[in-house]
Amino acid sequence: MSNEHHITPLRTYLIIAGSLLFLTGVTVWVSFIDLGSFNIILAMAVATLKASLVVLFFMHLLWDDKKNLVVFVMSLMFLGIFITFTLLDTGFRGGINPEVKNSINSKASFYDNLPLTDTHGNPVDSHDNHHEDKDDSHH
Amino acid sequence: MSENQNINYLNHPKGIMSWLLTLDHKRIGLMYLFSGIIFFLIGGLLALGMRLELAAPGNDFVSNDTYNSMYTLHGAIMIFLFIIPAIPGALGNILLPLMVGAKDVAFPRLNLASFYIYSFGALFAIYTIVNGGVDTGWTFYTPYSTQSTSNVVPMTLGIFIIGFSSILTGLNFIATVHKMRVPGLTWYKLPLFVWALYGTSLVQITATPVLAITMVLLILERFLGIGIFDPALGGDPVLYQHFFWFYSHPAVYIMILPAFGIISEIIPVHSRKKVWGYKFIAYSTLSIAFIGFLVWGHHMFTSGQSVFSQIVFSFITYFVGIPTGVKIFSWILTMYKGQVSFTTPMIYALSFLFLFTIGGLTGIFLGAVALDIHLHDTYFVVAHFHYVMQGGTIIAFLAGLHHWWPKSFGKMYNQKIASLCALGVFIGFNGTFFPQFLLGLRGMPRRYATYSDQFSELHTYSTFWSTILGLSIFIAILNLMWSLRKNNKLDPGSNPWGALTMEWTHTSSPPHPHNFESDPVFTNGPYDYDKVIVEPTLKK
Repeated sequence: MSNEHHITPLRTYLIIAGSLLFLTGVTVWVSFIDLGSFNIILAMAVATLKASLVVLFFMHLLWDDKKNLVVFVMSLMFLGIFITFTLLDTGFRGGINPEVKNSINSKASFYDNLPLTDTHGNPVDSHDNHHEDKDDSHH
Repeated sequence: MSENQNINYLNHPKGIMSWLLTLDHKRIGLMYLFSGIIFFLIGGLLALGMRLELAAPGNDFVSNDTYNSMYTLHGAIMIFLFIIPAIPGALGNILLPLMVGAKDVAFPRLNLASFYIYSFGALFAIYTIVNGGVDTGWTFYTPYSTQSTSNVVPMTLGIFIIGFSSILTGLNFIATVHKMRVPGLTWYKLPLFVWALYGTSLVQITATPVLAITMVLLILERFLGIGIFDPALGGDPVLYQHFFWFYSHPAVYIMILPAFGIISEIIPVHSRKKVWGYKFIAYSTLSIAFIGFLVWGHHMFTSGQSVFSQIVFSFITYFVGIPTGVKIFSWILTMYKGQVSFTTPMIYALSFLFLFTIGGLTGIFLGAVALDIHLHDTYFVVAHFHYVMQGGTIIAFLAGLHHWWPKSFGKMYNQKIASLCALGVFIGFNGTFFPQFLLGLRGMPRRYATYSDQFSELHTYSTFWSTILGLSIFIAILNLMWSLRKNNKLDPGSNPWGALTMEWTHTSSPPHPHNFESDPVFTNGPYDYDKVIVEPTLKK
């Protein structure tokens, strides 16, 4: 590891800070657009980009010993492995038993307390209609 | 030898505080060793208790609830308090700095902290035992673990804490291997045990945080009902299994990789031959460590996970067989045309080859989705992982213990008794667990205190041989302890087996408090039996 600290020009800091603010704006802006299943992917991509900028410039990883960069990239890789393989499960369920198709049960009692809307935010029918075939055993 | 015998790490400095506050990796290793052996004893007694209950059908000895607690504690204690900390914490701590020619590990204070974090976590486990046990199985699967009224929280909290000890030890070892090697000791001249500990440490620091997260989520689920694993709240109980096995499958390699390392050390020494395929063994260690992260779903074939991911996980699981096979063949080829002597460590190492191969091959059965759906949660699985964990790791641990005992204490145990016990362990082990393969194939489910009459014959065999197994291990440990008494006639010398790794050639047995009396100079590769003649100091 180098013994001298890298001196970053103020300009770089300001550019990165500006980019972070801009990307925050992007996050807010895309939240108003419905991209279906790409909503989460886009939100995570922007968040990852922002986190990387912070780590690389504000935390000086870019100028640090490259071994530390390897460790950082490895941790991202393992997180990627975990999420990808778990999604291979939750994204493809229901091949044999269709009732387990949705990993998140949209009929869960949790949602009873929330106003039900469709994907565009318009109110839909009352809970009673929605739950006509619901199993009540957990109450 | 000679006058240096008087000052060694065991007698200098003196006093109880010099042990409790020691920064010496060898003393910390011994503290891990003795606490590990105590938990091994507790876990072993629980196992014998279970076998006693299973000797005949019906609840003759304990109730169903007690039995549930017994198998949970047996699993959790053996894995989290004995196997995972024991080899890296005990043998790794004692040997790693000696093998790389360092005075200590990279961060000695952190090393002591790891031991105390482990002890603190162990207190929670002891509290759990005293307070009536925990009945979820060592895997703490939801939804039951969020509802059980037993001590789920103290036990998971204990495991959470012990995880930090594991991470810090891993970090310490990685830094030691990178930064503390003696000049000239390049990566390809490292003893294979060091490679194994290095691979283990990588898995420890990358996987263990996920276990910590899992345990925290489980505790939050119980106390606050956050609903991440509860379908009624929009969660997914199978997600718990993903979290748990993302750590716990790599943890299998945390347990077995150091065992591979021990075997890679013992076989060349006791065969007087250069290890065959050094780079193959070293790289297979790293590839097992990596592939181990991609196969966790094979524990979940009957959990309701998607067919697509079942196929993917099943396919990748077979890849583990490649590096593992590479190791087995390398060890066999190391012995080929060697001068094999049947010393106690070598008997254990040979048992390991036999038992671990059975354990590994039955793992391939279980990795096949179609067969696993039939065998899941039966005694076939129980037999399989005992062949790997006991037939593999614990036998390798015993091998290592007998191999490096004269190094650690400068004393030789009674070799006749030790070798007899090694045979007893081998026979008792097969007698106990081989019938369990048959029981599993016939449909005997795991985790039941009772069973129908058709299974009773095989269960009785299993129980009978388990007493031989338990007794053999007990006498083997006692025999080692007995050698520590003052008047020990047989002097093993500083290098009883005639090994070439630095911990034997460059320092006395037991070593100097600072490991080496002067700065060690690296002279020969760890397995250069074809170039260097070294005489065993142990006279028959």
